[in-house]
Amino acid sequence: MNYHWNWGIFLEPSPEGIGTYFDMLMMGLRWTLVTAVLAWIIAVSLGSAVGVLRTLPSRLGVGLGDAYVEFFRNIPLLVQLFLWYFVLPELLPKDLGNWLKTLPNASFWTGAVGVGLFMSARIAEQVKAGIQSLPRGQSMAATALGLTTAQTYIYVLLPMTLRIILPPLTSETLNTLKNTSVALTIGLAELTARTRAMQEYSFQVFEAFTAATVIYLVINALITVVLRRFEKAIAIPGYVAGT
Amino acid sequence: MPMIEMRDVCKWYGPTFQVLKSCTTAVDKGEVVVVCGPSGSGKSTLIKCVNGLEPFQSGAITVDGIEVAAKGTDLPKLRARIGMVFQHFELFPHLKIIDNLCLGQTKVLGRSRAEAMAKATALLHRVGLDEHADKFPGQLSGGQQQRVAIARALAMDPVAMLFDEPTSALDPEMITEVLDVMVALAHDGMTMMVVTHEMGFARKVADRVIFMDKGEIIEDRPTDEFFGKPRSDRAQLFLSKILSH
Repeated sequence: MNYHWNWGIFLEPSPEGIGTYFDMLMMGLRWTLVTAVLAWIIAVSLGSAVGVLRTLPSRLGVGLGDAYVEFFRNIPLLVQLFLWYFVLPELLPKDLGNWLKTLPNASFWTGAVGVGLFMSARIAEQVKAGIQSLPRGQSMAATALGLTTAQTYIYVLLPMTLRIILPPLTSETLNTLKNTSVALTIGLAELTARTRAMQEYSFQVFEAFTAATVIYLVINALITVVLRRFEKAIAIPGYVAGT
Repeated sequence: MPMIEMRDVCKWYGPTFQVLKSCTTAVDKGEVVVVCGPSGSGKSTLIKCVNGLEPFQSGAITVDGIEVAAKGTDLPKLRARIGMVFQHFELFPHLKIIDNLCLGQTKVLGRSRAEAMAKATALLHRVGLDEHADKFPGQLSGGQQQRVAIARALAMDPVAMLFDEPTSALDPEMITEVLDVMVALAHDGMTMMVVTHEMGFARKVADRVIFMDKGEIIEDRPTDEFFGKPRSDRAQLFLSKILSH
């Protein structure tokens, strides 16, 4: 292989005139992070709501929740982003569609919301499974005390559910961050997009993707460490799962 | 007026399987009634109907004059006045013992934290678990957890207490400590409906014994009479099986 290695490339100015290649990757990372954070907030809040909905004693609620999950889970993320970015504005009333198309940072908003909705279906599935894994007597005991359904969820069921689903929730958090890279296809200049740009400008493909790989690895390792700590912090003394 | 009154309560699971067949009985204020019968006879279902945890299709149940299944009944409010103890304790595992006792008091009855804590502390003392207030349920033995569950129900100042096989999930050496608490409660004049196979407990404190089989109340009579000679074949068979040792 006749390849000219140049690890110093990161300190060379990028042709965009806004700093070095390193700065360029860091700007990409910033978009990756803000997109991931917003997507995660959407995923966790909507996912929890839909997950709870699917465990309520209401056929309509369960049906709506199931339909939501099937919709967002069964269509590839890439297709969903295309739908929101290219198709949706055309289907909306003209003014609204134009407003969407001219929205500043449209690819960021679409990417964050799109990834968030996609991930919310997966989190809804886990929240539902978590709630259903609790003994039925727990909600009975709460109900017998006079707690309303909402209070039963808030004070009894959800605190335990959170503890049970935290390990898979950690995986979904990492997936949320990684999935933001798909948003490069709708023009979001996140880390993967900036890495590809660097490769095209400099032809230093190995250096560029090594950097991206290391950055993703480090960020995700950090998230894992933080969530493991959280898991330990809220662990219940003496509690053995499944008893 | 009876504290708990049931008239012709019927319940079906699905269109064909009838779990309760025209159950009629009453529990007076201060009375202790034991419900026994073979497994699957509907006794647990029957007491879960009393606080509306299980819906029923026909008949009526009133507690302290309030109709459980009536449309306008504020069920959470009614349930708050009926204590219930479950076979598997059902303490809330993420809450300390003291907080298990405070949750209903503060969230349902609207008591202040201080008031709830005082009540909870007094009740933990009563069931002999003062020093465990800051532990979590998983750190207690089964018998201790069930005593906490009784204290949790009592913290709501209930007008009646329902017990659904409170000792069935316990190791034998822990049954006594739970029964002792229940006996003391009965002597204090609490209205109690107890599903149990502990015939010693029934003999000691029950005013009446209800025997159920296949969803029907077969016998409903004063304790002495129930354990005395004249009784139905089915009850006799049941008693001979569980009293043979």
